[in-house]
Amino acid sequence: MPLDDASSDETIFEVGQFYELLTAQLESAFGRRHPRWVRGEIAKVYEKVHLYVDLVDAGSASSDTKRPVLNAHCWGSQWNPLKKKLAVDGVTLKPGTIVNFYGYVDVYAPQGRIGFTVTSIDVEGLLGDVARRRQELIARLQAEGLLEANKRCALSPVPLRVGLVASPGTEGFSDFTGQLLNSGYGFEITLVKTSVQGEAAPAQIVSAIEALDERYLDIICLVRGGGSKGDLACFDDERVARAIATASTPVFTGIGHTGDESIADMVAHTRSITPTKLGEEIASIVAQWDQRNIRVPAQKVLNATQAILDEASEYVGERRRTMIFAVRDRLRSEARHLGAVRRRLVLQGSHLLDSASQMLLSNRQLLSAYDPKKRLAQGWSIVTGAHGNVVRALSDVRIGESVRVMVSDGSFESTVNGKGGPPT
Amino acid sequence: MTIGDWNEAANELNAIVASFDEGEVSVDDLFVKLERATEIIESLEARLDATKAKVEELTPRIARVAEEQ
Repeated sequence: MPLDDASSDETIFEVGQFYELLTAQLESAFGRRHPRWVRGEIAKVYEKVHLYVDLVDAGSASSDTKRPVLNAHCWGSQWNPLKKKLAVDGVTLKPGTIVNFYGYVDVYAPQGRIGFTVTSIDVEGLLGDVARRRQELIARLQAEGLLEANKRCALSPVPLRVGLVASPGTEGFSDFTGQLLNSGYGFEITLVKTSVQGEAAPAQIVSAIEALDERYLDIICLVRGGGSKGDLACFDDERVARAIATASTPVFTGIGHTGDESIADMVAHTRSITPTKLGEEIASIVAQWDQRNIRVPAQKVLNATQAILDEASEYVGERRRTMIFAVRDRLRSEARHLGAVRRRLVLQGSHLLDSASQMLLSNRQLLSAYDPKKRLAQGWSIVTGAHGNVVRALSDVRIGESVRVMVSDGSFESTVNGKGGPPT
Repeated sequence: MTIGDWNEAANELNAIVASFDEGEVSVDDLFVKLERATEIIESLEARLDATKAKVEELTPRIARVAEEQ
């Protein structure tokens, strides 16, 4: 029945009839065959198989009791694929989200409600909105100096006391803790369990960071394995970003994702691309300190000790050899000197003896000329007196004295009978 | 005559060797100097051996620290 017709008469409808008329009229203008785009801000959202949303004018005050509300719903058969598409891009429908719904009006007579059945959602618009809000958050954090705040926290050279914000049992948790536990260093891990995705995650993460920040640990690690943008949306949460930025303990992130870095990564002291890499990096910091302050000095002490001992051994050995050669040389030198002296003396003695022999020979030759035997052989004789004295002159004998006359082959007695003149 | 610490002993030994190098040692002094040099060398070797023994004992411990990863 057309509306105009209904209003033109005084027909009285039963309730059911009225709803039939109303439904028919609405469907003719806003029904399944005449879907419309409706833009609004989500005031309430509820999901249980199907999606239920209270949509209001963007920016309208919740205190305004007269603001129009559109009760929209999206049946599960259509909501589930839409939900998956949104989740991949990290979009969740929550109060405050501005959204464009495409759908049609329906009337639910048992509750007297006019609703809006959503058949599509402007995902691109939502993504643009999410990206815009993300950039706005980054800009705010930058303006407040919070992007660099945690990076200014002094990092312990040996970060062994590790606060961990993670969900035990997840792959990311195992990957991270495995790196620390297998490093060989005595890491002390203080774990605060949290959800790492979903609506409750940001508040839990903030609470965990604040609790660990009061423990005076070396670092706080925020760890989460890979996931879709939707899974990782909590790491773009402003509350999480502010908790990290204002912590007095260096916060390290190991959030596994392949897309843009999260805002948590941006404000963190240090970020790694996966929990495994984060574990490796922390173990590496400790290993580098260990190497620099223990291993290398130990090796230097070892090398220096060996060098000193080698030098000392070489020195003593060299001195020993030097002494042996020096003494041997000295003794040889003395021996050579004595030998030379001896040879000189022998040579000089030989010369002396030769001279003496020569002198003796010439003397002997000289003397031989005076040999009495030679004189006796020549006919000379030697006369000796009674007392054995050689008679050299007439005065040596007396007349009548007996004398002995020695000739070449013997002697004979003779008596002096007279004395004559000198020989002629 | 006592022997000083390592450096003192080494200096004395060097002086004896230098006197040999310079030909200053008379035959009368030679034995005295050789005897003294021998005493010093034996003393240095004994100290060196004792130090080496201690180092041998400690080296594996330091090496373990240096090589562990």
